[in-house]
Amino acid sequence: MHAVSVINALLKPETVFRGIAGGSDEVSAPLHLITPFILLIPPVFVWLGSDLFGWRMGTNEPIFLDSTARIIISFCYFSVLCVGYFSTVFIANWMGNTYGAHKPLSTYFNFFTVVYLPLLVASIAHLYPNAFFNLLVLLPTLIWCMTLLYKGLPIVLEIPPQQGMLMSSSLVGWLLVGAVSILGISVALWTIGLGPAIAV
Amino acid sequence: MNQSKQEIYHDQVVARLIQFSVVWVLIAMLVGVYVAAEFIWPQLDFGQFWLSFGRLRPLHTNGIIFGFGVSALMGTAFYSVQRTSHVPLFMPGLAWFCCYAWQLTVLLGALSLLGGWTSTKEYAELEWPFDIAITIIWICFGIVFFGTIARRRIRPIYISNWFFGGLIIVIAMLHIVNNLAIPVSLGKSYSLYAGAQDAVVQWWYGHNAVGFLLTGGFLGMMYYFLPKLSGQPIWSYRLSVISFWAFTYSYIWAGPHHLHYNSIPEWVQSLGMVMSLVLLAPSWATMINGIMTVSKASDKLRTDPALKFMVLSLAFYGLATFEGPMMAIRSVNIVSHFTDWTIGHVHSGALGWNAMITYGTFYFLVPKLAGRELYSSRLANLHFWLALAGTMLYILSMWAAGVSQGLLWLSIDEYGQLSFSFREIMAAMSSYYGLRLIAGLIFFSGTIMMSWNLFMTLRGQQIAKVTPPPVPEKYRIKPNTDPGADHTGTELPA
Repeated sequence: MHAVSVINALLKPETVFRGIAGGSDEVSAPLHLITPFILLIPPVFVWLGSDLFGWRMGTNEPIFLDSTARIIISFCYFSVLCVGYFSTVFIANWMGNTYGAHKPLSTYFNFFTVVYLPLLVASIAHLYPNAFFNLLVLLPTLIWCMTLLYKGLPIVLEIPPQQGMLMSSSLVGWLLVGAVSILGISVALWTIGLGPAIAV
Repeated sequence: MNQSKQEIYHDQVVARLIQFSVVWVLIAMLVGVYVAAEFIWPQLDFGQFWLSFGRLRPLHTNGIIFGFGVSALMGTAFYSVQRTSHVPLFMPGLAWFCCYAWQLTVLLGALSLLGGWTSTKEYAELEWPFDIAITIIWICFGIVFFGTIARRRIRPIYISNWFFGGLIIVIAMLHIVNNLAIPVSLGKSYSLYAGAQDAVVQWWYGHNAVGFLLTGGFLGMMYYFLPKLSGQPIWSYRLSVISFWAFTYSYIWAGPHHLHYNSIPEWVQSLGMVMSLVLLAPSWATMINGIMTVSKASDKLRTDPALKFMVLSLAFYGLATFEGPMMAIRSVNIVSHFTDWTIGHVHSGALGWNAMITYGTFYFLVPKLAGRELYSSRLANLHFWLALAGTMLYILSMWAAGVSQGLLWLSIDEYGQLSFSFREIMAAMSSYYGLRLIAGLIFFSGTIMMSWNLFMTLRGQQIAKVTPPPVPEKYRIKPNTDPGADHTGTELPA
């Protein structure tokens, strides 16, 4: 049942979007169950991949972290995904009024589960944590997510496509700022001692 | 009123500056793409000094900033100051002098860089003869601009003119102070400052060139053309004025964040960091003001490629002005400095903000000047998606490369030795540089499309003649009848 829902959301997103807009329980209920996997699976894959293969930044030797560092990094990744997911849902809910949408919070939860679903699929790449390989997988995945966001938002919120485009662009702005913040916070945490030893 | 009808705005000079700007963006971006290729295939310099990275890189940056950027800023400033003052340009002959003298200076300056003339100061590499030429032309630019404002027929000075005015005054100050030098030959001079003082003055200039030229100047462009394009007034005029003054007061202090962990006093570094964080407030106030202005005109987004460029440029402006202060935090800067993360940051601003706001403005302005529709809206829409894809790919590849470099450069082994050599790390970056080259080619191909589109729009057309419209009475300034009278004048009685 859940597998069918996942496949539907990936292959026929517009049907799923219309189901979310109509408040269909048949569409919404499986999506609620998928959400925890979106947040949990990528950190687990990171943990496994860094244990099995080590981080490869392009140099000959892979970097193997100790078990504590790997657990902390995976947990931080999980936290970042949670903050990213929930903040996007709440910000979209807050923005919705400006763009003429009047939908319950659960609609936004369901919608962003579908938007973030490609990230769950692409996180398989974390099993081989080569930085460049992961970037190559991430690029089409982000395009896929953005397409879902831009196409789906006006359908789910039942607003004109132009308003949907503006709201989607505002959310992309927020997500870009979020991505930069993650870079900054990661680096700041790293310089205070979390992660591999560095000459600071 | 009759006098106003006989007058015509001087738009030929605006059109010529836009043409030069487009020529420069093509040349400078081509050089940028070539330099990006040299990172992967260093043998592309063919053993020629003038094709080496050290000479082509300043040509790329100077070509973009002074060739493309300043030509576009001069053109849009001349266009908008006439409309917002309801008078034609003051001393139009001087405006033409600025136009051609500037192009000649940039052209000869570019050749001098290829020939190895350099002051070695980033973004101020041109040697002393060019510095003097730039100063003279810049003063002429100021005379035309402020002269037009002084002759204005409308009492308020619109916000775009404050930003353009700030650009002219502050850049003049920065350029003159930073380039004070003792010439020893035609092609060589030595800075008047030494050591750490030279570094502080250089980055006071360098950061504020970014601030008042690449940010403030282009905000002037945004504040005039965004309301025109969207057909809506600025969402909050008061917010625009507050953000102008907050921007002006805080930007000027932020330069020392380029010198973290260097031999300058720690309190100067901390001051630079704090003022960089303060800058986030006026920057985001401007972004919000722009986005809220467009949100009232969302129906135009479907059909108008120019508006799409402007909306996207605001999103990247928000990103770059958030990323900059964050990278100024010392614990972040220790990793990001000297890595490709900085290059990614600069290009999120240069491609995402400067280029896109300018492209949006050109797509709006050139059909207006030509008095006809844009040659191909489909091509402009395709350009939009190429620009977005190129910018995103560029930023993401440089983020990944930069963080990898930071990690590898600072990694130490159990004996406290550096784990990786510089050569090893640079060899590991070639894949990212490949992605960056593809990103550059995508963005450049979009720019070629725009050039063709604008060329075909202007081809064979006379520049449309526009007369200043009458000023609403409550805003009107008394016309100048007495040759000796103060041009700022006083209001007519109601």
